[in-house]
Amino acid sequence: MSIETLQAPVVNIPVRHKRSRARSVGLHAALVLASLIAVFPVFWVLVTSFKPDGRAVAPTIRLFDESSLANYGDVLSGQQGDFLAWVANSVEIALLTTVIAVFLSATTGYAVSRFRFPGSRKLLLSFLVVQMFPFAVLIVPLFNVLLTLGLQGTSIGLVLVYCTTSVPFCTYMLKGYFDTIPADIDESGRVDGLSPFGVFWRLVLPLARPGLAVTAFYAFLTAWGEVAFASAFLSASDESKTLAVGLQVFVQQNRVEWGHLAAASILVAIPAVAVFYLVQRFLVAGLAAGAVKG
Amino acid sequence: MRRSLQRHWYAYAMVAPVVVVLAVLVLYPLAQGIWFTLTDINESSIANPVLDRPASYSFVGLRNYLNVLSGDGSYGAFWGTLVRTVIWTASCVVLTYGVGLGLALLLNRPMRLRSLYRVLLILPWAVPVFISAFAWKFMFNSQFGVINQLLGALGLGQPVWLGQTDLALVAVVIVNVWVGVPFMMLALLGGLQSIPADLYEAAEVDGATPWQRFRDVTLPGLRSVSGTVVLLGIIWTFNMFPVIYLVTGPAANPNTRILVTYAFERFFSGASRDYAVASTYGVLILSVLLVFATFYRRALRRQEAFA
Amino acid sequence: MAEVAYVSASRVFAGNPPVRAVDQLELDVADGEFLVLVGPSGSGKSTALRMLAGLEDVDEGAIKIGGKDVTNVPPKGRDIAMVFQSYALYPHMTVAENMGFALKLRGTPKQEIKDKVAEAAKMLDLTKYLDRKPKALSGGQRQRVAMGRAIVREPSVFLMDEPLSNLDAKLRVETRANIAALQQRLGTTTIYVTHDQVEAMTMGDRVAVLKDGLLQQCASPRELYDRPANAFVAGFIGSPAMNLKTVPLSAEGAQLDGLTVPLTRAALDKASSEGLKEVTFGVRPETLRLASGDEPGMELTVELVEELGADAYVYGSVRIGGQPERFIVRVDGRTPPAFGQNVKVAVRDTSEVHLFHPESGARLEV
Repeated sequence: MSIETLQAPVVNIPVRHKRSRARSVGLHAALVLASLIAVFPVFWVLVTSFKPDGRAVAPTIRLFDESSLANYGDVLSGQQGDFLAWVANSVEIALLTTVIAVFLSATTGYAVSRFRFPGSRKLLLSFLVVQMFPFAVLIVPLFNVLLTLGLQGTSIGLVLVYCTTSVPFCTYMLKGYFDTIPADIDESGRVDGLSPFGVFWRLVLPLARPGLAVTAFYAFLTAWGEVAFASAFLSASDESKTLAVGLQVFVQQNRVEWGHLAAASILVAIPAVAVFYLVQRFLVAGLAAGAVKG
Repeated sequence: MRRSLQRHWYAYAMVAPVVVVLAVLVLYPLAQGIWFTLTDINESSIANPVLDRPASYSFVGLRNYLNVLSGDGSYGAFWGTLVRTVIWTASCVVLTYGVGLGLALLLNRPMRLRSLYRVLLILPWAVPVFISAFAWKFMFNSQFGVINQLLGALGLGQPVWLGQTDLALVAVVIVNVWVGVPFMMLALLGGLQSIPADLYEAAEVDGATPWQRFRDVTLPGLRSVSGTVVLLGIIWTFNMFPVIYLVTGPAANPNTRILVTYAFERFFSGASRDYAVASTYGVLILSVLLVFATFYRRALRRQEAFA
Repeated sequence: MAEVAYVSASRVFAGNPPVRAVDQLELDVADGEFLVLVGPSGSGKSTALRMLAGLEDVDEGAIKIGGKDVTNVPPKGRDIAMVFQSYALYPHMTVAENMGFALKLRGTPKQEIKDKVAEAAKMLDLTKYLDRKPKALSGGQRQRVAMGRAIVREPSVFLMDEPLSNLDAKLRVETRANIAALQQRLGTTTIYVTHDQVEAMTMGDRVAVLKDGLLQQCASPRELYDRPANAFVAGFIGSPAMNLKTVPLSAEGAQLDGLTVPLTRAALDKASSEGLKEVTFGVRPETLRLASGDEPGMELTVELVEELGADAYVYGSVRIGGQPERFIVRVDGRTPPAFGQNVKVAVRDTSEVHLFHPESGARLEV
């Protein structure tokens, strides 16, 4: 494998011919329809978020129905719970999870990709097995462990739990990505005077940016939208909830406030979509390497 | 051994943190979970350090397994639920893979707006699952949901989607496919791009029709990616708790009950949270998946060897 | 500047049975020498180089650079620079950064790095490209950057692992000469790995031929060509390859079909002292010629004529002991025989034939 293929996988073009007009229309029609289905639910929540609660459930549907920003004002002003505190908690937990998970899966993925040390295959296999755990039923034992470690109710405890769910998959993916970086680069670095850690830090990580972006995205999402662990492991007081938990409570208590719910959902979704937008151009390359090598 | 340590110490150093974290937060809880399945532990008998109450559960042998595997309704009708779980997993994975592959094939060619389509099509992945669930629940509502309004406008029936019928299962499958397609599509798109273009050219020179090129070049080229993503998809879907719980819950709907949601139900609801039965379900789920994955990987390897 | 020594160094890969990729290699390279390691793929030549670089473990024996035992020294402590087959340029760094990276790691002052990079770039005609990323360079330019990266370091030994094999044929010949010239100018000890015997012959002060992890012969190109130590070296060095056939011996010499090649007394004595009735007979295509008139010669049926302009190579079959055997003969390019023609072939100079033991392959005459 030559080095330049690292930069951007060249898109091969199976069909050289000019498409006929009809086929071109069909192709675009299919993609437009699929895009509509992909976007519509989110779009619909957005539309609903501007409507008063009563209008949101009106039996006839209009795009705009007494729409205003009032719901957002209510949510942000804390009328529905300490929304801003939830945001702060969620950001803290999601960012910590991202940083720790990316770091852990990068070091592990690199070690498994480069050093054929005894046990490396077993380690990878055990990661696959960890994916099979029904985590919902590990909550009690996990609760006990966190309690013993004094991490119960802290964000770092929750962060570690999230890492156990995201690190295995991320390691898998990053290992695949590291495999596409020629080992010559590492060796060249060794000869140039780097230690094994130096090679990892100064050569491999900068070259693995697409893979790291996917990993970060995955880890961030894992932590950002998770409900079950967050409601079990964080204290019940309102100001220590994450967004997902707070909103969940909100849903259960206020079944009729669809407009407010929609507004809150949009507020939660914005950071996730923003992160997504930042990394999306890396996603194909990053994910491909991981999955192809699998 | 000492030699191996000496030679690979940096590898071990790089792996150590993950191994420690996984051991403490996965293996140990798992071991404890397995122990719970042999007891009658529940909320009132577990040790509670906050109330300073010692544990009072006792060892019951394999009773939990016998109860669950008898298929008794009061223990979640295990076999029926297992069948539903398999149906749920199979339909989700088949649909997700099919749609994902179709979209990947459409996207894997030069055209205008390609990157725009790609961004829009991956969007569902970026939305936190509980918000997607909320959106779909809102859309599936039988009175004011946009789906039934649309069906009504087209003069079709307006069913109760999320009621106590099998339609609810259809509805959650739709939601799960919507959530799962982007990952599948991206992985397959990456796989398509790794198939060398000269294979297609060679096939074309040999006179292969588009369908033959798809069957004899594209599909074999995707075999390795497919093997991985389908296995992951099956594992994830089998354990997909949030989508079902959030769309049809929190009051459990028996028509959408799969193994993992029942375990969770057992765990969190009921007069005395029954940790023992919940853990038993957990262990059984893990066993089913382990057996499946073993056969799957073996089949995959055999297929590769004879391909 | 330093001399290099392999002291019965081995690399054994675990397996069943274990693979001895490099087996008891014993090799001394003088200060300033250009040594080429050559061999077919799997011969262990790259492994030997990587052992010297510290990228491969040395399982037995030792490696010395400048008299110092470096067997357990990591690559960065060996004061070496390496040029890789893939060049292994850092894709995220510019040409200048690539070339200066090792110096930067050593903590060399910025200005000094800049000067040294500029000087090397000038030498290699890379000045224009210093700010480019490797991706924006042609294959030949990348190759020069890889060279530049090694030169800037001013190491005591250059290691080159097939540095020309990714270039097209014309550029390869050109670069070959440039590297040899550069090495002469810098006077740095160089170990160069290639599978191409032409590269080996044209570049090396000495050439070490490896096969299956074992050193076959290490000598000057001339010596290697004129006195190959065994049948393998004889067949590997030279293009087209030497004709190597097992033929019966008589009291006069080697019995080819219709032609007896007289052998020296010494050679015949040696053969008979080992009780040999047959011998592996080697003769280079240029040592054969077309026989004229009724001169004795082998009957050769022409199967293929390769015309190279000045010369032509005739490929044909000769029956030896009833079996057809392929022979290659160099003839004058202006008057080659035609396809299907039967010609007679004689030996130009009987002192230029080679004899090897039919089983061990070792060279026979003294």
